Amino acid sequence: MTVTSSPAKSAQLTAIEQSGWGVRFKLFQPHNAAFWVWLGGVGIGAVGMIKYFGAGFDTYRLAVTSGILFFGIYLIPWLYFLRRQNRYTGQPGSLLATGFVWGGFAATFWIALPANAAMLEIWSKLLGPAGAAKWGAGLTAPINEEWGKALGLILLIGLAPVLIRSAYDGFIIGAFIGLGFQVSEDILYAYNNATSTFGENQLSSSLFILGIRGFAGITSHALFSAIFCTGVMWILGRAAGERHVVRGVLACLGAMFLHFAWDDVAGLAFGNAFLTVAMPYLILMPLAIALLLWIRRLASSTERRWIRDLLAPEVEAGVVDPQLLTAVSGLHKDRRHFRKVVHNRHRANLLTESVGDLAHEIAAARGEETPRVAHARHELLRLRGVTP
Amino acid sequence: MTTDIPGWVPVEHRWLGLDRRRLRPAIFVLVVALLLIYGWPALNAIVPWDNPIKAGDVLDLGDGATAVPPVGWQLEDGSLVSDRAGVSPTNDTVKLAKAGAEIQITGAAFDGTAAQFLEQVIRSEDPDANISGAPSTFTTTSGLVGVVRTASGQSGDELIAAFKMSTTEPDAAPALLVEASTVPGSFQQYSTEFQALLRSITPGAGA
Repeated sequence: MTVTSSPAKSAQLTAIEQSGWGVRFKLFQPHNAAFWVWLGGVGIGAVGMIKYFGAGFDTYRLAVTSGILFFGIYLIPWLYFLRRQNRYTGQPGSLLATGFVWGGFAATFWIALPANAAMLEIWSKLLGPAGAAKWGAGLTAPINEEWGKALGLILLIGLAPVLIRSAYDGFIIGAFIGLGFQVSEDILYAYNNATSTFGENQLSSSLFILGIRGFAGITSHALFSAIFCTGVMWILGRAAGERHVVRGVLACLGAMFLHFAWDDVAGLAFGNAFLTVAMPYLILMPLAIALLLWIRRLASSTERRWIRDLLAPEVEAGVVDPQLLTAVSGLHKDRRHFRKVVHNRHRANLLTESVGDLAHEIAAARGEETPRVAHARHELLRLRGVTP
Repeated sequence: MTTDIPGWVPVEHRWLGLDRRRLRPAIFVLVVALLLIYGWPALNAIVPWDNPIKAGDVLDLGDGATAVPPVGWQLEDGSLVSDRAGVSPTNDTVKLAKAGAEIQITGAAFDGTAAQFLEQVIRSEDPDANISGAPSTFTTTSGLVGVVRTASGQSGDELIAAFKMSTTEPDAAPALLVEASTVPGSFQQYSTEFQALLRSITPGAGA
């Protein structure tokens, strides 16, 4: 079976060109200043982290090691979940890992820690200690932390300008930077909680932090950064037709507002004990998830168009049927519908994964016909039960 | 004719071994990061404290526990009873400062006596600190019995006091740590105010 249609082929090549899909990412770029800033930020952050934990390590060894272990395990389902979100023209793992490391070391220990300490004291001076206790965190973290994390996205654009094009790229990379920040901060909280009891019951202290922060983490830094970095990409408008400055600014402000509200629940509840406990889980969590899903839907439109264009010649050639294309390039409801049509969830997942393989090989080959493309196509046809 | 070898930078675009065409993101990140890291501390340095303790102010130590701070000191952290801030007796801190002197009050959850708590604090913070040999007993006006030790070194002098915030069931009650420190040579100047604050510490009703 061969692919011949020229308008479809032209659309495919344009999609490959615009998406940058298939281009390899290499972190070590000594001629690129973004590499040195990334390295410097991560290096200073790592030294800061060692100094922070090292100062009391003899006393708080158990808190630090159990924090690293607990939140290391906590990371696994997160990585699995975010990998599933890295669909359409997915980003290479090495690029996402580079963002994760920025979030874990540079955004936290290089930027947020000194910036937050100074800014919290400014609020104490301006609002008084009681006012700062109520409002200080929410007026500080959304500025220093959201910006600190988003700087990682800007650096990655400098390192991989061809790869990072669409708002959905910002969504995925932002989530990984935020996840790095979140896990690093969680370990910091485990350590700080142990210091607040002067080293008593360190293991139960770490478990307590895992329980509290682990659940709250569902709508924490990974979510805030996914929304914020999507907004940054809309402002920058790096893909054709994707420049939406107002929408981008609103997305950034939305992420900052969620962060503010989460940090200043006590202030927003105006002393009401029920609201203080209920607001984060009954109001803020649903609101954050709703905003995230809406942003993800808007952000994915360009990527979904690219994947349709990329597979257009395969659709014309009958390798990919229209329903399968809709499932691969569609939203969650489209994939759910496809599973119903196929009457077999496992088979539906195999088919969509196989189409993903084919799309990936086509992009990696820059639209050329290679043995790997032919093999991926053959595998898909085998799964579909179609004889070439 | 141009080259498309990855990593090759045309000579007219080179600057100190870097590709000039790709400087903008790096410069933007560096400037914003340095502004956040050094800009806020610089602004903090020029904004003065203006939150002095006035006559009649009472510190809220949580669960009804209180202490009377020395008048004229800056309250840099913590809440007054009049703030109605909902202080946690095992979590919140109070920080008072006056030229060269500082008082820090920290609440903590601890099962055991005040003496055991103080030992735990010293062990966790700095086991090698120059802490005086024998701890002494200190009784507040409300009847709380605490343990006091002092330390002295090149960086200054320090008084550390530990209390359990109940006169009836002290072992299970929250612990309170008071750390008062001064620069070298000025401890005597503030010792009356330190003692007055320690004497004023009162547990909550029923504790």
